[in-house]
Amino acid sequence: MDMDADMDVPMQDANDDQLTPTLDSGMNNQNTSNDNNNNNDDDIQNNPITLATNSNDYSDDFKPGSSGIADNKSTTPMVLNNSNINQLDTWIEKLTKCEILSEDDVERLCKMAVDVVQFEENVQPVNVPVTICGDVHGQFHDLIELFKIGGPCPDTNYLFMGDYVDRGYYSVETVSLLVCMKVRYPNRITILRGNHESRQITQVYGFYDECLRKYGSANVWKMFTDLFDYFPITALVDNKIFCLHGGLSPMIETVDQVRDLNRIQEVPHEGPMCDLLWSDPDDRGGWGISPRGAGFTFGQDISEQFNHTNDLSLIARAHQLVMEGYAWSHDQNVVTIFSAPNYCYRCGNQAAIMEVDENHNRQFLQYDPSVRPGEPIVTRKAPDYFL
Amino acid sequence: MGDDFRRKMLLSHLGRANEILGGPSSEYEEESENDTLGSLSNFQDRSTNSHRSAMSILKIENKKKLNLSGDNNEEDSRLPSWKDFFDNNEIVELKQRNYRFNTYFTIPSIDEDELLKMKSIPFFVFHHGAGSSGLTFASLAKNLYKRLNGNCGSFSFDARGHSMTKPIDDTIKTDYNRASFIGDFVALFSSFFDKHLLDKTKLLSKISIILIGHSFGGSVCTFSFKEFMPMIRKYIEGVAMFDIVEEAAILALKEVDKFLQKTPNVFTSNKDAINWHIQHGLCKSKPSAEISVPALFKKSSSGKIVRITNLKSFVPYWDTWFKDLSKSFVALPTSKLLILAGNDNLDKDLIVGQMRGKYQLVVFQDSGHFIQEDTTAKAALTLIDFWKRNDSKNVVIQTNWGTPPQP
Repeated sequence: MDMDADMDVPMQDANDDQLTPTLDSGMNNQNTSNDNNNNNDDDIQNNPITLATNSNDYSDDFKPGSSGIADNKSTTPMVLNNSNINQLDTWIEKLTKCEILSEDDVERLCKMAVDVVQFEENVQPVNVPVTICGDVHGQFHDLIELFKIGGPCPDTNYLFMGDYVDRGYYSVETVSLLVCMKVRYPNRITILRGNHESRQITQVYGFYDECLRKYGSANVWKMFTDLFDYFPITALVDNKIFCLHGGLSPMIETVDQVRDLNRIQEVPHEGPMCDLLWSDPDDRGGWGISPRGAGFTFGQDISEQFNHTNDLSLIARAHQLVMEGYAWSHDQNVVTIFSAPNYCYRCGNQAAIMEVDENHNRQFLQYDPSVRPGEPIVTRKAPDYFL
Repeated sequence: MGDDFRRKMLLSHLGRANEILGGPSSEYEEESENDTLGSLSNFQDRSTNSHRSAMSILKIENKKKLNLSGDNNEEDSRLPSWKDFFDNNEIVELKQRNYRFNTYFTIPSIDEDELLKMKSIPFFVFHHGAGSSGLTFASLAKNLYKRLNGNCGSFSFDARGHSMTKPIDDTIKTDYNRASFIGDFVALFSSFFDKHLLDKTKLLSKISIILIGHSFGGSVCTFSFKEFMPMIRKYIEGVAMFDIVEEAAILALKEVDKFLQKTPNVFTSNKDAINWHIQHGLCKSKPSAEISVPALFKKSSSGKIVRITNLKSFVPYWDTWFKDLSKSFVALPTSKLLILAGNDNLDKDLIVGQMRGKYQLVVFQDSGHFIQEDTTAKAALTLIDFWKRNDSKNVVIQTNWGTPPQP
């Protein structure tokens, strides 16, 4: 019986062999137990790391795949024709004006997108030149600013390292636009999965509520979260720059081990896939327990060893807010890129993207929040009682 | 002095008027009421001896019931008592703090063979929020105990101005600055540690303490961490706060008046009080309310029950309560867990801290403010997971990496 045995964990890693728990509690003689426990909310489903959700979160409606967008997946990658190019161009034009697609169009888009991203690899190869971007978090106007600074897609190749949704007020527009671009220009833009591209996280941090607000139902949320399961989890730029949302895993020593993972699933709350989306570099050497409650911290020794073993020049990742928009760590073995300026409309940080040219020269472009009409006013409702 | 006396008299009258009208009671009223509660005064006199056994407390509880008349007694006897949740109830007199603190605790009793096999035993130390009591954590402490098969400890108490904790000398002016709550908490838990844990060396070597504060109690726990003596602090594995965000709390303080106006201070019975708290969403779980709500009230001579804590007496101190909380929490040099109820309403310091991976954030969307009472099982699971993940005594990070290349 492992330490989670009583938690009725909603998701399990699909590949049990690889996914030996990376955290060994070593307490087999003191298992937690709810035997004889008459507390009536005992059959709750609890994600012990990031959030614990409502007991009804995994009712049939909320189950992975319930949107049906992946019911008739193609066995070959999608081929664009004039008709769907026109459709995609129309959608991109609409979305660029910050107007949402209809629910039916989102469904069409997600079905097409599944047939693009399902054929991508766990370690998606990407060519130079490419512009690498970090968290966007629903800050749509800043994404438009990003394309102004970095150049329009498809003129510039883009690699986004996850966290398109939550916290900002335009998650729907942001993720719709990026997915449209992905389907329209599959070889020009790569969109990786972040820890927020998850059913559990989006229910707490805004995307779910935004979908309800903008569409009147959770259908669009179900479609996108079903699509997220197919997103690639890492990318390899010209065999030299390993890109991912979070960081390294104590169970992933080589890039090839990432290829062996079964990524088509909800983000698990432990194990290598979880670590890749959750871990952070740290000043302390070796592996450490992440204060986030998921993933690990890894030191410079770990980054150096990983880059050495895999013949890499750099690990590029996002996931952490950095005030200048980018930050080097581990003696330039790791770079953090964060592309949501003034995060949550209140953190006062700059954003950045990293251009990598044909000769692997790197250049950072920093930018401030876009000027936009009707900047959201962050109002915080005071709770009734807070003593 | 004269002014103070007049003020006291006036407040006392106001308190009585309010009681009749069902308005807010005054803290001074409760003092005069004590005279009519012979057993309660008695109880205080006899507890000058600093440590009371569970037995003598029990006696006093029985005595109190004999003194009271009316049908409510039968009702009350069906309510749970602290004994259903903790092993001990001890009155601890701390002269330097001028308070007799009402404490509840359970010390893990594990035989030596079992103990040897264990790597870590969590000890959960609770601090309630303003207007609450040590028994707000009763359900949670019991839930943790069951889930861990008794292999854990817990400590909870009534803070100054709350429930059964009383000043030793009530002529000495008391204050409700955060610093005073911190001083109480550190002194009280340190004295508990010295008395009940220090000599149990085998047990102590396995103990990992987690400080858990609800609401204002979260602020007290956060700022207490560095105040503990290093020999105690080294056992503290982490700090958990339940539903407290500095910015939101400061906003909420402006609304507390409205809350107080809506909150009756007198009920005809514990049952009424419990029902009112449930109906008004202050507690979503009846079993939790049955132990937490009666602790907020005392019997008056009229047979009704009157709220003990006068939240208004805290108003002059509010500006000290949450100051710099978010910054300080994020910077604590220990493991940190923040559980919020409802939604994620972090302020800037907490957002930055979270987005840098400095602490664990968990949101219980189905909980009200009193997380420990509303979503007891989830809170227990989250605390157990927090303890397991962060405990250096029991965590081994497994890796399949080979040895690093030699330079």
